[in-house]
Amino acid sequence: MKDKVNDEVTRRNFLRSAASAAALAALPGVAAIAENPGPNDAVRYGFIGTGTQGCTLLRFLTTIPAGRCIATCDIYPPNLKKGVETIGSKPDTYEDYRQLLDRKDIDAVLIATPLYLHARMTIDALEAGKHVFIEKSMFFKEEEAEQIRKVSAAHPKQVLQVGLHRRSSVLYQTAMEMVGKGALGRVLLVQSRVTTHSSWRRPVADAKYERLINWRMYREYSGGLMAEMGSHFIDIANWAFEGEPVSVIGTGGLDYWKDGREVHDNIQSIFDYGGGGRHYFHCMLFNGHHSNGVMIMGDQGTLDITDDRGIYFREPVAKISSGPAKENWWAGATVSKAAAQKGVLIFPEKEAKDSGFVDRESLYARRWLASMGIYQPEEPYDPYWGELVNFFASIRENKAPVVPLEIGTADAMAVIKANRAIDTGQKTSWTKKSA
Amino acid sequence: MRAAITRYEAAHQAMGTEFTLVAYGDDPQYLTAVGNEVFDEIDRLEGQMSIYKPKSELSVINRTAASRSVCVEPKLFELLVNAVDHSQSTGGAFDVTAGPLMKAWGFFRGKGRVPSNSEIAQVLRRVGSRHVHLNRAERTIRFDMEGLELDLGAIGKGYAVDRAVDIVRRYGVTRALVSSGTSSLYALGAPPGARGWSISLRNPYSSEKAANIVYLRNCSLSTSGNYEKFFKLGTKTYAHILNPSTGKPVENMLAAIVLAPSACDADALSTAFYVMGVERTREYLATHRDLMALFYLPSSTGRKFRRAILRSDGSSRIGAFFPRTPERKRKSTRKGTSTGASARSSARYATARWDDRSL
Repeated sequence: MKDKVNDEVTRRNFLRSAASAAALAALPGVAAIAENPGPNDAVRYGFIGTGTQGCTLLRFLTTIPAGRCIATCDIYPPNLKKGVETIGSKPDTYEDYRQLLDRKDIDAVLIATPLYLHARMTIDALEAGKHVFIEKSMFFKEEEAEQIRKVSAAHPKQVLQVGLHRRSSVLYQTAMEMVGKGALGRVLLVQSRVTTHSSWRRPVADAKYERLINWRMYREYSGGLMAEMGSHFIDIANWAFEGEPVSVIGTGGLDYWKDGREVHDNIQSIFDYGGGGRHYFHCMLFNGHHSNGVMIMGDQGTLDITDDRGIYFREPVAKISSGPAKENWWAGATVSKAAAQKGVLIFPEKEAKDSGFVDRESLYARRWLASMGIYQPEEPYDPYWGELVNFFASIRENKAPVVPLEIGTADAMAVIKANRAIDTGQKTSWTKKSA
Repeated sequence: MRAAITRYEAAHQAMGTEFTLVAYGDDPQYLTAVGNEVFDEIDRLEGQMSIYKPKSELSVINRTAASRSVCVEPKLFELLVNAVDHSQSTGGAFDVTAGPLMKAWGFFRGKGRVPSNSEIAQVLRRVGSRHVHLNRAERTIRFDMEGLELDLGAIGKGYAVDRAVDIVRRYGVTRALVSSGTSSLYALGAPPGARGWSISLRNPYSSEKAANIVYLRNCSLSTSGNYEKFFKLGTKTYAHILNPSTGKPVENMLAAIVLAPSACDADALSTAFYVMGVERTREYLATHRDLMALFYLPSSTGRKFRRAILRSDGSSRIGAFFPRTPERKRKSTRKGTSTGASARSSARYATARWDDRSL
């Protein structure tokens, strides 16, 4: 057993010591090992784009021993420095991501760059033989979907994961399990929103870096609120409806922060999934009252998720059956309707309250949900952390990633079409897929 | 062409309190953007350190560190090292593992209650930073017993203030005040034309009256007071600061205020000094630098209070200036005053004697 581990280590060291690639290729099985670190090897990765989002991911990565950051890359020196400080593993640094990709000892790259760079970097990284984690939205232009698909198909052993982290959230997984098991009945509407009172502006000390740092505000690089915020909930709706929309309408404007930016700060859109299923999404930067969240509404219930908290409401529905039943009614008992109206926390606060009838009823309902296997008491870890652990696990165990190409593509495509609908004022449709 | 001076002030709810940022500069848009960065960072820190969010890194540590070593994010690890150092140097008066005690007394969410002595003894077995093992080489944490819980409530807000100040500084702002509620604040530079940021220290008996005014410049201040959170049962009032060695609320203390170069240290030490009292704090200050401690202590007469101010070596350099105490109108009071109306009316003129024994 021990010898096997040692042999494995020796073989890996041998690979890293850059013996001739041709000689290695002649050894059966070796190429596969070079591509896929085994279940016990730390994945050696490079991180491209260490700005705000990049550093958010890097902070979670510091606690994940399954990966080891050996290189970082950013074209903006202060961010490059910030990334190195955040990860703390003394990575080599690059300004040109292609030099990072040239490193043969790097198994995987994580990319958190401005949206317009996503497709090119993903393609280059796949072609350089790397496993790729690409932040959402996956791509910026419609034609890039096919370009990425082709390259990914040509590199089937490499993991390609998209950073839609709610897919790694136990809260959302539980919610979708409830949807799938019919707890809401027939789902017809998803309502979602991202609301915040924020200029969305990052401070720029030197005006020449304005477009670099505040790239989200300029149409040359950014899909605006729909890409940066909407993509999360577009994916939730795709998940709930188990498919893609057929059309979208929308409106929007630059109504509040008229500070030279080009993207809207107030948008509304309605995605039609066919068969009566719709998703209404809105996003604004002038009012944060309603926070972030989604309501999934069916004819038998509602799931209301705001931030980290999900509440399940049962719709009072008349029961209709044929023929008489044994009628036996009690007088003087309190009706339990209150519990249904108040809603049941699907993620209750840690400390259960112990006062009163409604709380006891809620507790009963939670137990009932747990007995059906659709209740988790709490979100056990941060979804960002979860998605990164998933990424390394996919590489090491040779498994499909939690957010594969198809999910990322459907999401990014809906962003693009929704933006087009808003900009043109026209309903925008999906072309029928050639199955 | 230089624009006129702009003052930016914004508040943000986080960590169960309201953070405030005041900053001076010349560009409102820039200051607003700096504010975004500050409040984003505070939200991130709350997401990492909250014990009310099961998904936070600290909650994950609390759930798993008794069964295995947990790898900790570098900055949080530094904070935990700092917190355990404070526990050791204060003889456990500050203790990040005291959470279960707070729960036993019902200070989390619920209503207050008085636990039995045996219950306290039971809980105290799970309290003590000696049970927390930090491995610096591996950057991991491990608890050596089940039931231990880290709670950064007495240091995290000060820490968040420091991180906010780092951001403000990094973006070149030189005049700013960051506060977390009224408990911890940092004064960066001074407002235009002023020698420092004027801070009123509240009277322990009345939130509308100032007991002292202090001017701060590049200095932080943190307060622990018996008036912040408490409950009453019968005639007795139980304040929320518990002595981790006895498991009971600290008595005979109204407030402890610490001035220090870092808000994180000031936050931890204000709790510690509140628990330690004047004499033990004096011993602490004899071996530490750059600190000032101010106590408001109950007086035997009605709603009066006594002050004590203690200084360590180097305290004159920490950027805190007390203006001369104004002459106060003092009514002659009879010795051994009863709790009559006259005693209460004279209480608003706090006894002005400074028990100022610099070390």
